[in-house]
Amino acid sequence: MKRASLASAVIAVGALVLSTLPAQAATPGVSATEIKLGISSPLTGSAGVAYGKVPGAMKAYFDYINANGGVNGRKIKLISRDDKYLPTLAATQTTNLILKDKVFALVGALGTATHSKAYKAAALAKNNVPDLFVNTGFSGFGDTTKYPTTFTVLPSYAMEAKIMSKFIKEKFTGQAVALIAQDDEFGIDGVNGFKAGGLTLASTTLYPQSSLTDARAKALLTGLSAIPGKPVLVLFGTTDVTAGILKAAESLDLVSKFTWIAGSVGGDANTLLALGVKATTMTGVVAASFFPDAKDKSDEYVSQFMKINEKYNTKGVTFDNTVLQGMNSAMLTVQALRAAGKNLTRAGLISAIESKGAKFAGAGLVPLNYSATSRVGYNGYWFGQLNATGELKPYGGTLAIFTTDSGAGAIEASTYKRPTMPKNGIPTNS
Amino acid sequence: MIKTTPTKKRLLLFIFFGWVLLILGDRVGDLELYQGSFVATYALAITSIILLTGYSGQLSLGHGALMAVGAYTGALSIFNAGLHPVIGLIISVFVAGIFGLILGLVVARLSGPYLAGTTLALAISLPTLANQFPILGGEEGIVFDVGVAPARFGDEFSQYKWFFWISALAALIMVWLVANLLSGRYGRTFRAMRDNPVAAQLSGINVGQLKVMAFALSSGVAGLSGGLLVMLISGVSPSAFPLSLSFAVLTGAVVTGLYNLKGVILGGLVLVAIPEIADSLVSRIGGSEGFTTTLPGFLVSALLILAVVFTPNGPGHLLKRHHHKKKV
Amino acid sequence: MTQFITAVLTSLSSGAIYALMALALVLVWRSTRVINFAQAGQAVLTTYIGYTVIQRTGSYWLALLVAVVSGAILGAVIDRFFMRPIFKRIKSGPIVMIAPVVATLGLLGIIQAIIGFIWGLTNQSIQAPVSTDGFRVMGTVIAFSRYNLLVLIFVALAMLLLTILFQKTDIGLALRASAYSPEIAKLSGIKVDSVRTLGWAIAGASGGLAGMLYIPGYFLFPNAMDLLLVFGFVAAVIGGLESLFGAVVGAMILGFAINFATTYISAKLFFPTAFIVLVVVLLLKPGGLFGSKKSRSA
Repeated sequence: MKRASLASAVIAVGALVLSTLPAQAATPGVSATEIKLGISSPLTGSAGVAYGKVPGAMKAYFDYINANGGVNGRKIKLISRDDKYLPTLAATQTTNLILKDKVFALVGALGTATHSKAYKAAALAKNNVPDLFVNTGFSGFGDTTKYPTTFTVLPSYAMEAKIMSKFIKEKFTGQAVALIAQDDEFGIDGVNGFKAGGLTLASTTLYPQSSLTDARAKALLTGLSAIPGKPVLVLFGTTDVTAGILKAAESLDLVSKFTWIAGSVGGDANTLLALGVKATTMTGVVAASFFPDAKDKSDEYVSQFMKINEKYNTKGVTFDNTVLQGMNSAMLTVQALRAAGKNLTRAGLISAIESKGAKFAGAGLVPLNYSATSRVGYNGYWFGQLNATGELKPYGGTLAIFTTDSGAGAIEASTYKRPTMPKNGIPTNS
Repeated sequence: MIKTTPTKKRLLLFIFFGWVLLILGDRVGDLELYQGSFVATYALAITSIILLTGYSGQLSLGHGALMAVGAYTGALSIFNAGLHPVIGLIISVFVAGIFGLILGLVVARLSGPYLAGTTLALAISLPTLANQFPILGGEEGIVFDVGVAPARFGDEFSQYKWFFWISALAALIMVWLVANLLSGRYGRTFRAMRDNPVAAQLSGINVGQLKVMAFALSSGVAGLSGGLLVMLISGVSPSAFPLSLSFAVLTGAVVTGLYNLKGVILGGLVLVAIPEIADSLVSRIGGSEGFTTTLPGFLVSALLILAVVFTPNGPGHLLKRHHHKKKV
Repeated sequence: MTQFITAVLTSLSSGAIYALMALALVLVWRSTRVINFAQAGQAVLTTYIGYTVIQRTGSYWLALLVAVVSGAILGAVIDRFFMRPIFKRIKSGPIVMIAPVVATLGLLGIIQAIIGFIWGLTNQSIQAPVSTDGFRVMGTVIAFSRYNLLVLIFVALAMLLLTILFQKTDIGLALRASAYSPEIAKLSGIKVDSVRTLGWAIAGASGGLAGMLYIPGYFLFPNAMDLLLVFGFVAAVIGGLESLFGAVVGAMILGFAINFATTYISAKLFFPTAFIVLVVVLLLKPGGLFGSKKSRSA
């Protein structure tokens, strides 16, 4: 009896000692007091105009968490590098983040052409660097053979197009559908999604980026106005292009000719209004989202994030859907770090998200789908209509969420109910 | 006594330099190796500008397009046709060169801003073309994978070192070839044509033909540079060759001297180092978000302007002048 | 039929916009033999200044005036303190052509960084001074608004005034002489340096006009006029860099070609059309449509 208890005592003590030993020496970006995270995204240039708010929003949330104890006693430091939406620059900046800044993990990398090159160039797979919550809807990033350490968060453009097809077929039966999309991975992902969703398009226009000028928009709209009835016009472009097309429609008095559907990338109402689109034009525009609207102060996440934005973000940054999205990703990141435990390793972070990620708290109104076999985050959308103040309200009054995949899977109505937010927006998971 | 002709001297110099790089490659970290690869690539791009503008007097604002031709060719050869990367790179040179030859013929009668405008228009159109043909991979582009280093170099041989070896070697060989060309008869003919086209023509030089040849040569070099560039980012896509790249390369060439090849490595270094310096400075100074975001761009532009204003003919020229002054 | 009418009208509007930039570039070229890439930055900067005026006073026309005047001042300052030192150091060889280009590119970067720092990087917009709704013609709304008409009128006026200035006045003669043969001009008593600064001032003013007319139809951010710069340059080259009339014609040709190609053939031809038109014109006339043979010895 005595020997057994002595042995178990030794084992117990040994286990205790070993479990508190911080095996951090080998893990880059992690010290006793700090976790370094990196993001490469456009801050300047034409893309910087649309996406420049993301790093600031994430940093604001991280600062909030740091002020409230950090993660397992460590503060989060976000290192942001500008890649101007250029693949060569994204490759070098991401490599810099890994080799120079020695970050622990990447968060919120932005853009398909940019990040696909950066992923390979910075040897993220080889170094097992977690690539969390990338800011792009390109379905390819969910492919674990190509991107073994990447976790998507945004529903893919293909998913969006599929769900949009179902919505259009149900609500606008009999009307012709025309698509105006950017001629790159995001527009083409959309085209494929419409095909998978079984929607026949009366007209598809793919325009090279930055080529949709006012003149072009007017010419396009004139052509499309020849379609009889009240065609559905789907705009799969960035916000500046969406605004341009809407303004051209105003000029040609064609606003009421079409039913307008704005894709998620270009559908941020606040930005559209700021770019000069009339409030009367905005009213009734259909848009898809998987978040509550950034203006919906009755939503607990929106009001909490607004407070954080006010207190911790750079002065003067208006709270909009981009900021909401950024903070949400930051919140998911914090939960991932917490779930990985005090003994923080890259492999540990990845498996933590795989096993616990689906249950992370977040503002999303659709479920997260992380598992041992899936790197896909949100996988659904709800449809709404914009009102005169630019707020997105559920179509027909009731919130109807649909989920699907990026391939040929079915589109299903979702009964997901978002769990209550952790108190004050500070995660308590582990 | 060993007779050392200039050609032999040059060859020895290049071999020596290559050997130095090899040793250096073993001593520095991955980040420096990666940066070094970019230096080599940009040095090549600058060489192509020097060939075209410094030696044959034709201004191109769209060299990115020529680099893109080489890059896509290389990617297609390696990925689609499954050829060995080295062969892929060689093909890039030739295809880009042929493209340059055709382009040179088209723009033969143009000069100055008219030529500049044409190359500019080419640079903005070429990326769109990549989206036209599905075989060119659209926006995601085509993978450019030179594979990992041969097993016999051991496990410790990082991918970045492999990149460095390939780009440094390719750059050295190409620059050596070009240097030989320019020090010989062709170089003299080019310089004659550049300095006084009328006199050159009178002495029997076919100026038109020479200009076209310069274009072809320059494009070939640019094609190799493009191929190396996409090797470093592991893939080619339309957005990899924006206008800003063409401008950056031109700037690098001006800053380090358009008239001879001596400064190309320095030029490559400048293009890589200045953004890095700006970045480091910004992270050290800190400041408001607006400040830190715009400062790197500001610093890069400011440094380039200073370089152009104070050493428009390249620092080598400045040294020469100083030397002369001293003599007198 | 409506498609055709729209294509024609929108081509006119696009052409007018390109002409604005082309005019400014030709002005600088004619008076100083430099391709001024910083023009995009100068024009945007003066438009931001105009934007600030609108924020404070609500008046577009006042903002326009301020933009034009500040454009002139900015242009003069840039020539006097920036371009002049460069010209003093560069005398011959291809570098004469290129160093100013590179210098102006650097200047563009600096201006854009300064704008970003002072005004931030987000999109702003400027309201057009007149209605942007299309005119109603026989019941249908056409793709041409009061605003488009305004731009066209301004372009025509600018071209007219500037041509008169260059061809009919002593100052214009001095400008042309200083550009073509600075030594001879100096001998005739013309202060070449001051005249050149004047040329840059005029170009800067027209750039200021261009920005204030272009931005209301688009958005305001530091890189807002980068693309316009490229198309303006192509248009100027098509017209032959020597003539203001040529700049407008070149711009119209470019506008029509691009709009018709993208409307009737494919939206993807937006950029390639510029290249094709340019090459075709230059193959037939290497000096541009209205350029003289002399211009080729740049």
